[in-house]
Amino acid sequence: MEAPGRPPSPDDQDPVPIFGTWPRIYTAVVVWDLIVMGLVALFQRWPY
Amino acid sequence: MDRLDWVVLVGYLVAIVSFGVWAGRGNRRIDDFFLAGRQMRWWAVGLSVMATQISAITFVGTTGQAYTDGMRFLVFYFGLPFAMVALCLTLVPFFYRARVITAYEYLEKRFDSRTRTLTSLLFLMSRGLSMGVTLYAPSLVLSVILGWSEAGTILLMAGGTIVYVGYGGNKSVIWTDVVQMAVIWFGIFLCFGIAISKLPAGMELRDALSLAQTSGRLRVINPSPSLSEPYTLWGGLIGGTFLMLSYFGCDQSQVQRYLSGSSLTQSRLSLLFNAFLKVPMQFLILLTGVLVFVFYHFHTPPLLWNSVEMRKLEEAAPAELPAVKARYEAALATRRDAAESFRRGERDRTGRYLAASAELDAARKQAVALVEKINGGRRYNDTNYIFPTYILGSLPRGLVGLVIAVIFAAAMSALSGEMNALASATMVDFYKRFVNRGGSDAHDLLVSRLATVFWGGFACLVALQAGKLGSAIEVVNRFGSYFYGSILGVFALAVLTPRASAAGAFYGLMIGMGTVAVVAQTTKVHFLWYNVVGASVVFLAGLALTALRRPAPARE
Repeated sequence: MEAPGRPPSPDDQDPVPIFGTWPRIYTAVVVWDLIVMGLVALFQRWPY
Repeated sequence: MDRLDWVVLVGYLVAIVSFGVWAGRGNRRIDDFFLAGRQMRWWAVGLSVMATQISAITFVGTTGQAYTDGMRFLVFYFGLPFAMVALCLTLVPFFYRARVITAYEYLEKRFDSRTRTLTSLLFLMSRGLSMGVTLYAPSLVLSVILGWSEAGTILLMAGGTIVYVGYGGNKSVIWTDVVQMAVIWFGIFLCFGIAISKLPAGMELRDALSLAQTSGRLRVINPSPSLSEPYTLWGGLIGGTFLMLSYFGCDQSQVQRYLSGSSLTQSRLSLLFNAFLKVPMQFLILLTGVLVFVFYHFHTPPLLWNSVEMRKLEEAAPAELPAVKARYEAALATRRDAAESFRRGERDRTGRYLAASAELDAARKQAVALVEKINGGRRYNDTNYIFPTYILGSLPRGLVGLVIAVIFAAAMSALSGEMNALASATMVDFYKRFVNRGGSDAHDLLVSRLATVFWGGFACLVALQAGKLGSAIEVVNRFGSYFYGSILGVFALAVLTPRASAAGAFYGLMIGMGTVAVVAQTTKVHFLWYNVVGASVVFLAGLALTALRRPAPARE
């Protein structure tokens, strides 16, 4: 059996092409999703 | 369809099959065939992941759903970006480092062979059957709208896909998906642009959106805490996240795509690419459906969108039909008049418009009840026919062929990924374990190709029989949702808990599937929540069983 809780080994040290690091890109994804949800909420309530 | 449309459609099909065969040359081993030699770049894999998820019926059905029900289906995708981040942090690195070809192979490394066999078998059964439905649904729509033979459409779609996937494997799948995704994106923008350009003179996009808003078609976010209501915000955020975790994390048709990345970074980026683009893309598709809805305020929509059923109804000529038609036409005229008030910017328009819309809906419901009556009570739903009817009625020559090509592209891209994944699970999880462990590369490659042809043929058989299966199609769709979340629970046990035992995972899976079946049969909980139930029950049951069966410490 493998040790399943083993933290990722450092082969993800490859350069991240956008946002520079993994934590930053993950944060960007989450922020992007929140912005999109906010825009959708605005879209549905906008007084056209 | 015009001759030019045929030229466009046939030209597209010949080009994509030829390109698929060309792109897939050079396979030597099953690693090449199933994982494209693990050499793909993130953007190509990312487009392939996206294309595998979009089936023809997603494209046609989503626009139809926006027409009939509005844009609330969008919440279904709100959890996708969160799921992608979670997968990049958990399952993807484990799969990648274990150098597996199938997701289920990892479960044998972590637990035991029976957990691997069971999960892989569940995948083969559900994906094999659902691939038939994926093939049948657009074929049925195209056969009704264009008058084509249903069997011919099925064989054309599946046949073309079998040729390039059977020859080139995953390399062909990914490169054709890149092209097909470009065609699909082009088609989405084209349909959106045309829907705007077809608004009546003097009506701006703002007026159209105001009309759609009044009808409730722009409502997306419903904060209701109900578990039985479909597409609530919480259902989308929580249930949707679990569904996407299951689909992208445990379904071989997706796992195989991103394991083709040339490095862990490339695999992760392919998923994050989808996290950024998926919700805006679905928004655009749904908004196109809403604009089609506005379009049909100023053009006459048919009483029933399925022309074959409409003809049957007219031939049966029930006594109530003339009155229903008259009511429908009167309601249409009143609604058109009320809709004109949006163009003129009148203030008291809402009440009149809503009353006219309610009358129109009532007339249509009567027509639907008549169809169901002449069909012996079989449920009638024509949502999938709305968009193709619109395309044929309003697009210029040449573009009709192009949009039909988009429907083919969406169908073939989903089929190709599924076919390749079914072949890989058959080969790696069964054939190479139970039939022939030590085959040469050439032998394994040949069997992999035969497995692809087998699953393509199986999908055709299911699709050709699907019309006779009736409600069994719903059973097939439901079947997958019973264990999707439960399999996610097994993977969660594998990567999140160092102590979970093989027996805990195996029996936990059984308990999870049983619980979901009971919830589905005895409650009105919406299916988006099944994955939350399944994954949670398996995880907790697995931990509990592990604790119960832990051997007592040896005495001195």
